[in-house]
Parts: sequence; structure tokens; C-alpha cells
Amino acid sequence: MKLACVIHRFGADIAGGSEGHCRLIAEHLALTHEVTILTTTARDHVSWANHYRAGEDPVGRLRVIRFPVDRPRDLHRFRDISDLVFSDRASPDEEQQWFRENGPVAPALLECLQRQGGSFDLVLFWSYRYYNTFFGVPVVGRRAVLLPTAEEDPLVHVDALSPFFALPGGYLFLTQEEERLVGDRAPAATPRRIIGCGIDPPAVADASLLQRLGIAEPYVLYLGRIDPNKGCDTLLRYFMKYIGDGSSPDRLRASGASASLAEARADLGRAEAEGLRCEPGGPAPRVQLVMAGPANMPVPEHPAIRTLGFVDEPTRDALLAHARVLMMPSPYESLSMVLLEAWNRGLPALVNRRCAVLEGQVLRSDGGLYYQSAAEFAGALDYLLAHPDVARQLGAQGRAYVEREYRWPTVMRKIEALLSEVAANSSHENTKSRNHEIS
Amino acid sequence: MNEVRVAPLMKEIESEARSKIRRRLVKHGMAAYDDEEIFERVRATLQHAADGRDLGVLLLPELLNDEVEWSLDPNLQLSSHRPAAGKAILFAKRRILLPLTRWLFEYSQRNFQRQQQLNRILLACIEELAVENAKLRRDLDALRK
Repeated sequence: MKLACVIHRFGADIAGGSEGHCRLIAEHLALTHEVTILTTTARDHVSWANHYRAGEDPVGRLRVIRFPVDRPRDLHRFRDISDLVFSDRASPDEEQQWFRENGPVAPALLECLQRQGGSFDLVLFWSYRYYNTFFGVPVVGRRAVLLPTAEEDPLVHVDALSPFFALPGGYLFLTQEEERLVGDRAPAATPRRIIGCGIDPPAVADASLLQRLGIAEPYVLYLGRIDPNKGCDTLLRYFMKYIGDGSSPDRLRASGASASLAEARADLGRAEAEGLRCEPGGPAPRVQLVMAGPANMPVPEHPAIRTLGFVDEPTRDALLAHARVLMMPSPYESLSMVLLEAWNRGLPALVNRRCAVLEGQVLRSDGGLYYQSAAEFAGALDYLLAHPDVARQLGAQGRAYVEREYRWPTVMRKIEALLSEVAANSSHENTKSRNHEIS
Repeated sequence: MNEVRVAPLMKEIESEARSKIRRRLVKHGMAAYDDEEIFERVRATLQHAADGRDLGVLLLPELLNDEVEWSLDPNLQLSSHRPAAGKAILFAKRRILLPLTRWLFEYSQRNFQRQQQLNRILLACIEELAVENAKLRRDLDALRK
């Protein structure tokens, strides 16, 4: 088949979730299909400033066509329209305007879909929240296959999306939770598959990299952008309370769920004198929180917290291979590749239950524990650290889940089946409309 | 090691976390929670109010006057009543005053949003308690008959 993939940014150096997902899927599709990537010249996901050269650029088996972005994102205007739309007071026009302000606005990409869209058997669109997907799917209609990468955030409930979600000819979802969130608004007969993302068996990890970084075990690991939107402020607050949390009621009160980071820090000062602790009343294993990823927020300086900044692939592998637990505090996730990578290495996870996807993944895999409050966070982390045999078993169950659901042959079988079904429906509809015209 | 099921294990951990909270509250004067059943009923009621329902759909707001009169409005809406000079005034507000004071606006807006969320949760709590009260009154009336 001749396929097009529409994505807001594209490049080997772009680490974003949906962009990475698109690249991996497109590369695997390109083994058996003719694949063109339709994208923008943007690299920065905040400003959408033009960075790459516009025009055609082959990348391996993929033909990549980049279209210029008309204007950078005006963050003030974007915030103002977001406030209006998310407070449920926006008119239909203002809801549509939200997608224009979110960008990246590349009208030439939409013109290309209008002019040449018919030359593709199917057009796959990633992420409903971006301009080119929101305004591009209606151009292609039933030949569109949408990968919404939707999260349970306020945007997904806006009225403008109900007619939009009825348009695509097929859906590829990342999880069951995403299908429930979006799938109900698509016609019942619309073909759909839950695919997640493929992942290869892990490479051998080099433990000496950890020694070079001075990381001592045991440590729990956060991997990814350190950002309040990823739940990192809550993770830090809970972790600092956890290591300062003893059986002393006064300290427990000071570290209540609403305590600020400053309060928790003061609390920790008192706890430091007694050493870091884990099991109330038991011995005190010195557990460290290692955070690897670029930081968009201040991280408290403390011996129990190590920030590494951006790490390369071998370091990432070594960190995953030797951690005790992966921490996944994000309240909004449509899949979480990091979680799959952790399970791929048999590492159990501790996830934020407020994210339905993460809770669902943990329950389906039996590959970790979850929390909803500071008390549950402390209880679950205590349990995982105090019961290494159970933690190992949870990690092994996570790995089995990855083997079962997320190896590339399994994922690609589901994608190919969906594409064949949508293509058959589309050509059937074309035949019907041609016959109708003739009669 | 045998298979470990997460759901029952989490029930144990959650129960232990709740128990810790209860003991702490009892120790600090909330004697009613000495009775585990009472604590559990209170917790379940409040929990349901906090995240078991749609906070945008509540009875009490329906009974109050127009929402505009009592609801917090965290969003700044710039307008002018002057027909002629209105456009110029709006331009000045948007392009000069707002950029200069945006830091203050954003700081207060975030706090207003938190307050609004808390107000909704409290309204939901009141409604949960009113429902409980109505059920008890109905049962009491039935017993009296």
C-alpha cells in the first residue's frame, strides 16, 4: 500500500512520545509498504519555530516531506484560549481556534493533503490535539486512520471533538483506556485495534556506567522529562516525605498530603539526623531517587535525590537494569513507553493511580503497584523495598506482559489487519459511490 | 516464586495506609475514629465526593441563583462598555497592561482555580451528607410507622 503518516514534528533527535511512536511504526511499515511522512519544519514543541529545511528529505526507507510553520506559537494567546475552552465556556468557533493556537500551523501540509491526498491508499494521523491532524482528518475522511494518543485531560471532552472523532475510517489505540475514552464517539462499526507500541528485547546493560556516575544501589528510578506536568513535583514531595516519614505522629502530621515542598524539606531536615529510613520500625535501607532526564523545574538538593540530566541510551539501559523500582508519577499518559521499557527489563513499577492508563496497565500485567495519596505511596514503596522477592516477581510478570503484547511481530500483525480492513472499506465505498454516479 | 496478583495486594497496602491515617487522627483527638467502621464510612463518603463523581454536576448550584453571581471566575475577560473608545481601551488593556501584570494575573489565576476546585469538592461533600441524611430520615420514618 501507499501510506502517508502525518505528524507534527519528525526527526531522529526528537524524543517526544507520539513522534517517537510515529517514527517506529513508520519504519516498520516501510518494510512492506511505500511510506511518506508529512510533517512540519518545527523541532521545538513549545514555539514550533522552523528548524529543519522545508521540502523532501529521505530518511532510510522513509520519504519525509516537511512543510514550513506559518507562525510560532503565541503562548499568552494559547494560555488564554485554553482557559476559556477548558472552563467549558467556549463557543464552537473558539474551540476550533484552540487547535489553531496549539499549532503547528502548516497550511501547505493541508493543501498537500487536498491536492495529493487521493494518491495515498491510507493516511495515518498521530495526535488529535495538533492543528494538522484536527484539520487534516476532515480532508481525507474515511481514508484516515487516527492514532489519537488521547489522555484523560480536559481537552478530550470538548464538544468540537465529537464530530471529529466520527470522521476517521479506522482507529489505532494505545490502550484499552484510550479506546474507552475516544472509541465511544466513533461509529460502532469503525474498525479499531489496540496496539500499544512494539519493543525489542533489551540489550545487555553495562553496570560500570553506574559506578562511573557514582550511583549506589538501592535506588528507585524516574526516567523522562522532569516536569510538573509529568507529576514530578508530587513525586518529589511524596518521596521527601517518605524518606522523612517515621512512626512519629508529629512528623506524620507535618508530612500530610497537602504539605508543601518547603514543609516537606523542613520535615526532612529533622529526619536526616536519624538517617533515611524505609520500613517503619525496621532497619533503614538508604534508598535513593535517581532522576534521569532534562529538568524543567527545580529539584531539591539532597543526598537521597540524584539528578543526571539527559542520559544516553547505554546509561539509560544500565539505570533500568539495576534499579529497584521504576517511578511513574504522571497523571496524564496515553501509553508510557518508559513503563514498557522497565518491564522489558523485569523492573517493577510504582505508578500514579490517578492516571487510568497506568493503573490499567499495572492491573493487566500484574507488573507493579500504584498509589493515589502520600500514605499509599509510602506503603507501596515500603512494600516493594522490603519484599525484594515479590518485587522481582512483579517485574517478571511485567516482562511476560511485554512478551505477550508488545513484541514487534504482534504489534505489526494488528496494524496490518486494521489497515487492510480500512482500505477494503474505503475501496468498497469508492466503488459504491462510482456506481451511484453511473446509475 | 508463585504468581503475585496486584489487585489483592493493593487492597492490603491501601487498607494499611488507611489504618495508619486513622490511628494518627485518633491519637490527635478524633476519638470517633476509634471505631474503625465509623472511620471507614466517613472516608468512603468523602472519597466519593472528592473523586467518585462529576464535580460539574451537583444539585446545590442548581438551586442557587445565576452561577455568575456566586461562582468564582478565574478567567480574565477584558471588555469595555464605551462604544467609540472601547477598541483603543481594549487594545491598551490587552497589549500594554496585561503583559505588564501577567505574572500577577497568572499567580492569582492558579490560586483561584485551586479555590474553585476545593469549592466544588466541598459542595459535593455537602451533597453526599445531605443524601445520607435523607436516607436516614426515610429509614427513621419507616421505623416510626
